[in-house]
Amino acid sequence: MVSGSRPRQRLDRSSRGFALAELIVSTAIFSTVTAALLMGFISLKRSYAATTDFAINHADQMRISDYMAMDFRRAIKVDPPNRNDVYIYIPCYYDSTPAHNVQTPTLDGKGGIYYGASDCSITVHYYLSAGVIYRQESNNGPVALATDVQDFVFDTTDLGKVITTSITFKPTFNSSGATDTVAKATAFYNTTLLRNNRGVY
Amino acid sequence: MRRPNSGVAGSALIWTILVITILSMVAAELLRVVSGKYYNTLHTAVWQESLLAAESGIDLAVVELRKSLYPAPNNAWNGWNTDGAGTSYGLTTIPNAGLASTPMTIEVNVDAPAQLVDASTSWQYYRIRTTGTMPLMGPARASDNKQDTHLRKYSLRWDRFTNGILSSQAVSSPRVSRRIEAIVRPVGSFDQAIMSVGALNLTDANILIDSYDSRDPLKSTNGLYDVSKRQQHGSIATDGSILNAGNAHVYGDVATNSGTVSGIANVSGMERDDFYQEPIPIAAPSWPSINPTPMVVSGNANLSANAVQGSPASRYMLSAVHLSGNQTLNLTGDPNGTTTYIEVYVTGDISATGNSQIVLQPGVKAKIYFAGNVAVEGNGLVNMNNQPGDLYMYGITPPSGNSGTVDIGGNGELSAAVYAPDFDVTIHNGGVKGTVDGSFVGKTVVMNGITDLHYDEALGSGGIVNNYKIVSWFEDTR
Repeated sequence: MVSGSRPRQRLDRSSRGFALAELIVSTAIFSTVTAALLMGFISLKRSYAATTDFAINHADQMRISDYMAMDFRRAIKVDPPNRNDVYIYIPCYYDSTPAHNVQTPTLDGKGGIYYGASDCSITVHYYLSAGVIYRQESNNGPVALATDVQDFVFDTTDLGKVITTSITFKPTFNSSGATDTVAKATAFYNTTLLRNNRGVY
Repeated sequence: MRRPNSGVAGSALIWTILVITILSMVAAELLRVVSGKYYNTLHTAVWQESLLAAESGIDLAVVELRKSLYPAPNNAWNGWNTDGAGTSYGLTTIPNAGLASTPMTIEVNVDAPAQLVDASTSWQYYRIRTTGTMPLMGPARASDNKQDTHLRKYSLRWDRFTNGILSSQAVSSPRVSRRIEAIVRPVGSFDQAIMSVGALNLTDANILIDSYDSRDPLKSTNGLYDVSKRQQHGSIATDGSILNAGNAHVYGDVATNSGTVSGIANVSGMERDDFYQEPIPIAAPSWPSINPTPMVVSGNANLSANAVQGSPASRYMLSAVHLSGNQTLNLTGDPNGTTTYIEVYVTGDISATGNSQIVLQPGVKAKIYFAGNVAVEGNGLVNMNNQPGDLYMYGITPPSGNSGTVDIGGNGELSAAVYAPDFDVTIHNGGVKGTVDGSFVGKTVVMNGITDLHYDEALGSGGIVNNYKIVSWFEDTR
């Protein structure tokens, strides 16, 4: 008599489940690959963020430098410049109408000319405050030229006919290897000839 | 044959696609950021170039203005247009001048507003408006920063500056324009105490050069030099490379054109090597009518000045002036000393030896043009107004390759301004002391003996216009 037990069916080898050892090995490989990918992506992200910050800061440097150079060129007076603070006085070239029409120049009797009233000038103030570099023209509201600039420093040196400007920032790198020693400050120098020669004719 | 496990193959494919997708997204974002920064930097560079273009426009205008100072035919303003109201308009395009061989376009307007005439000298100041335009490469895309856009104002769709005025019009391709308004003023021929084209030699430590201003009571007394009010603008300069200050006492700057200066122990001002000044040549006067007599002066004579400047009655053309002994040539005006004018053109030499004199009577303002040599001794040239601005002497440019001489000597005093850029000028003293109030321009200049030269700063606004200088510069940032 044949017992009631079912006959043992031999499974096809390829249809069998993973052995424990295979599972452990495959999990380890998967984890390693995943960890490597993750670290790679994190590294890429940090590098991307640092490069973007650098590019943004560099563009900020250029913008501040170009703004200041533009105002220095047309300045008729520059107050003794201090670190992170300078006053520039430019001619009253435009009238006070909304169209900002150009005023007619007038001889000052000393070999020079002026626009508008004889003692008229527009004040342009550059300063650093709470991590933001501002440009304020006359009594208009200050305009932020660059934000998040806690590492920015601008120096202006009055050399008579020219003014030199130095704008520095320290790149921000978040990776652990980027120490202060590694992250050197980046300086942007500009020498501007004062076209108006400040009343000396 | 064994079939591959379809589940394993699908997993690998999904992983591959996922990784490629992520990397592609990273690459695309990187490309977007990098291209944005690239074009931002590129456009900034082009923006800077457009300022160079605009400033070149000022140079082009000043070149034409300077040309107009030369004797005719000077070809000034050739190729420029005029609107009939006194505005000259020039458009210059320089191919391949910009980044990546882009063209540089320079638009210049020059006008002479009536309110920019100096009443004291009748000198016209000129207004130069110039716009420099450069094409922007890449897409017509604004910067990713608002302040960059506000600063640089690219013309991506509309041009801000059209025909020199604010009148926007559509542009066919992106560009950037920058616009400058500059005011230039005339510079007189007597901007320095001494200016020479070639060598300038002060040979003696006893020579003194300083300045005063006859217009300013704080810098002069009754319009005359006062040593207690001495000024420090007795500058000397050469357009050449050799200047020997001779240890003279110079109360002002010494300057060469990339040259060297020696003997500067007693120079109070700066030593510079960036001087450049091309003197304007003097052409012979071409007066339509003159006073025909006399035609030559070789003894006592009177020439009458006139209350009307440029009157034919006070314009004389002489072949020579030769005085000796006690002979005197008087340039006479109103007996009351009111202002009168006289112009004398000497086609030959001028000489005054012994005790002879050429005397400028009170109130007379004279211009003496000479084509030959000048030799004046002692008190041979007397300016009774004691104002050097009342006696201008102009040496007419000789035929090419020739040069003349101007020799002023003796122990006397002289008040005059001498402009002779084609003449070798010598100021010397043979005895106790000579004093000169005025200014000298020569091909070469030599001073020796014991001589004081006091430069009247008022001469800076006198004489002929020799150049133009920017006195106001403004970038229109609307």
